[in-house]
Amino acid sequence: MANEEIKSKLKAFFMSDLGVDGDVLNYDTPLFGEEIGLDSVDSLEIISFVDDNFGVSMTGVAKENFQSIDTIAAFIEKNKA
Amino acid sequence: MTSNNRRCVVSGLGVICAVGNNVEETWNNALNSLSGIHKTTSLDTKNCYADLAAEVNCDTLDDIECPDEKDRASKLCIKAMKEALNDAGLGDFADSSRVSVIIGSCVGGVLSIEKYHRGGKDVNEIPKMPIAAIASQVAESCHAGGIVTNVGNACAAGTISIALACDLIRAGKADVVIAGGSDSFASVPYSGFLSLHALDENGCSPFNHCNGITLGEGAGIVIVESLEHAEKRNAKRYCEVLGAGVTSDAHHITAPREDGICLLEAMERAVRNSGIKKSDIGYLNAHGTGTGKNDNAEINAFLKFFGDENPTLSVSSTKVMTGHCLGAAGAIEAVFSIKALTTNTVLPTLHYSAEDSEALKEKVGQMDYVQNTPRAKELECVMSNNVAFGGTNASIVFSKKPGDVQSQVAKDKKIAVTGIGIVSPIGNSKETYLESVKSGKLPESASICSTVTNDDYKELGIKMAFYRKLDNLGQLQTVSGMRALKDANFTVTEDNAKQIGIIVGTSEGGLGATYDFEELIAEEGNAGGSAFKFPHTVYNAAGGYLSILSGIKGYGVTITTGPLSGLDSIGYSMNVIHDGQEDAMMATGTDENIPIITELCQKLNVAADKVVEPYSESSGFVVGDGSVSIIMETEDYAKARGAKVYCYALGYGNGRKNVKYGHISGSDEALDIAIKDALNNAGVSMDEIDAVCGFANGFKKLDDIEKAAYARVFGDKLANLPLFQVKERVGEGRAASAALAAAEAALMLGGELAEENAYFITNAGVSKKKVATGGFKKILVTSFATGGSYSAVVLGK
Repeated sequence: MANEEIKSKLKAFFMSDLGVDGDVLNYDTPLFGEEIGLDSVDSLEIISFVDDNFGVSMTGVAKENFQSIDTIAAFIEKNKA
Repeated sequence: MTSNNRRCVVSGLGVICAVGNNVEETWNNALNSLSGIHKTTSLDTKNCYADLAAEVNCDTLDDIECPDEKDRASKLCIKAMKEALNDAGLGDFADSSRVSVIIGSCVGGVLSIEKYHRGGKDVNEIPKMPIAAIASQVAESCHAGGIVTNVGNACAAGTISIALACDLIRAGKADVVIAGGSDSFASVPYSGFLSLHALDENGCSPFNHCNGITLGEGAGIVIVESLEHAEKRNAKRYCEVLGAGVTSDAHHITAPREDGICLLEAMERAVRNSGIKKSDIGYLNAHGTGTGKNDNAEINAFLKFFGDENPTLSVSSTKVMTGHCLGAAGAIEAVFSIKALTTNTVLPTLHYSAEDSEALKEKVGQMDYVQNTPRAKELECVMSNNVAFGGTNASIVFSKKPGDVQSQVAKDKKIAVTGIGIVSPIGNSKETYLESVKSGKLPESASICSTVTNDDYKELGIKMAFYRKLDNLGQLQTVSGMRALKDANFTVTEDNAKQIGIIVGTSEGGLGATYDFEELIAEEGNAGGSAFKFPHTVYNAAGGYLSILSGIKGYGVTITTGPLSGLDSIGYSMNVIHDGQEDAMMATGTDENIPIITELCQKLNVAADKVVEPYSESSGFVVGDGSVSIIMETEDYAKARGAKVYCYALGYGNGRKNVKYGHISGSDEALDIAIKDALNNAGVSMDEIDAVCGFANGFKKLDDIEKAAYARVFGDKLANLPLFQVKERVGEGRAASAALAAAEAALMLGGELAEENAYFITNAGVSKKKVATGGFKKILVTSFATGGSYSAVVLGK
């Protein structure tokens, strides 16, 4: 799967499952910042989504990997089988 | 010392949980340090990382009348209720208006929701789904004819029920209250806590390993009685119930505040309201769920609160035996606390090794966390705490001595209505609603709903980071609540955040969200639940979100009894203010119409197939929804901040004639009782009532009850008495419509709704004409619930 496709899938997930407004969500927007405001409950959903859709486990992974769609996609790229 | 007319005593106990099927068995097993936690076989645990639960093992749950009509939560509760009544030497109450039922629950009839969804959508499952069925069916089983209500504050609901029971007795509204909580183990909460990674795969280990909770199930019942009533019948007296404290975190929908400041405030209020010293408390039954977040917040809060004044307080969590029984937890733990008090025995938290004990000591110092085996200790007072999703904190004190309870200290204060927020299918603000009324807007179809948009959020300054988390019910509630604060010009600040509370009234609360979650896990399995969606299943999520958004940290309770909950929120708010608990309250009524709600109404054959109007003698009603929030405050408080006053809340009343839950026919006279009770409470005569805002929705069975009661109560006066019916515009919006009826009354009295269509009932039939409202001085507002309960509120200039 191309990096762009991963990012677009992630963005669609944030919009449909975590209620994020797509207009303000760019690939480099800080997810846990004031504007989007993700929290620990949301990170559980991200972990579950990434595991189910890309077969990559993000359980216990360092916080910086969750910073933005870019960083999550990079982690997936790096760790997918 | 507490005056005798304020004293509440416990005269009976009942319990059923994984540790035992009655009080004696449960207590003896607990004394032997037995835990009811085991591997569950009742649910699908495929791919689930934790498979332990504390389930009830009882083969006599169906030994009640019509077991097929009751969810497991009701059956558990009725079993505990029967034991408690028997213990108290009480039996059938013959619909006595002095006997109330208040039951807390978190997931209510969730098993019936699962059964409906997975079992061919059997219509018979529908009446068993809402939490409201539980108290109603308990009342029906023993013919309690007083206030019958449920508390929907998730894991703190059981404790709040007992607190509310005392409030009612001290307000003179009841002599006996059957109070407690009930919940059953089911896929939805199991999957939900799994999705939050909040279950401990090895079984919960409170204040110790703290890796998560283990779910349990059960029910606890405490018979709370006025001292006078107990003395008169020479009843057994276990102990006194002193004061309680209920607060809201205003922080997070699932996680408690790390600083524990609102839990501290709840304990502070409980001690203050009890009129005791912190050092009088010998034992604290903690919430102690076994999650790190909860347990650490509690450990720190206890050290901070009791500190030097009570450094060797004994503390334990009995959830390591019973599992976390959610809405039943507070009730079961009340039974443990009362048994501890009366037998001078502190139950332990189990499963500590020597190493664990050392580690705990590092954290808690000399505070006495009782471990592994019970401890004999002379006890005067015990405290029981529970906290919940939505940020609720509740604390209550049981005592051998009467304490110095202060209640109804602000009874003489006038309560002003100062703010109104309306979200409805015909407008999302008071202003647009009023425009719609003026233009004669009617429902466009037989199923209508309110739609909150980004414009509403923008206008109210609600950020996406917040509103993205909301489910539909939460959207309706937060927008109406924030609009009410804005309308009242009430700015919540650090200084006044604890002086204002919220009571949310809802008929179905999180039922729709629970169904949504059930659909998800039926498809994905219990391992596929959503941590994002799960919090919405609790009925107090909407109120919790409002507290987080507004910053309101005072009293926070969600009541769920059917449509009248939207009116009872006003009555109970009056009581909170009269008790001196808060200076201001927000009373709301909120219910949603998402597709499943209309489906359920259609299946029950109560949904109209076209638009119908009140008194149209139809076989159904328009399904609607909405959220209406009303700010009430003492006149002094309103004046001090220069608030405009719409009108005053003068009194409230309730009536009940037991009929089967889901039915109304045969309960007619209970509406008369509710109206007379409200007039009496307000000190207003029937002749002084200028208009009625009622609850007719077009469904003949319901409208006939309303018409006949008004004819009996008002007699000849009825022909010229204007009746206003909001449901002609917004459909049957349950609690939202009840609160909207009150809001319309306030708008008329406040001069913002100068004329309005009124119905008149005469021998010739029902007629309708526009009337001017300027001369109205006092308006009666009424509502109903299935099972035979009615409520009324009097508002006046």
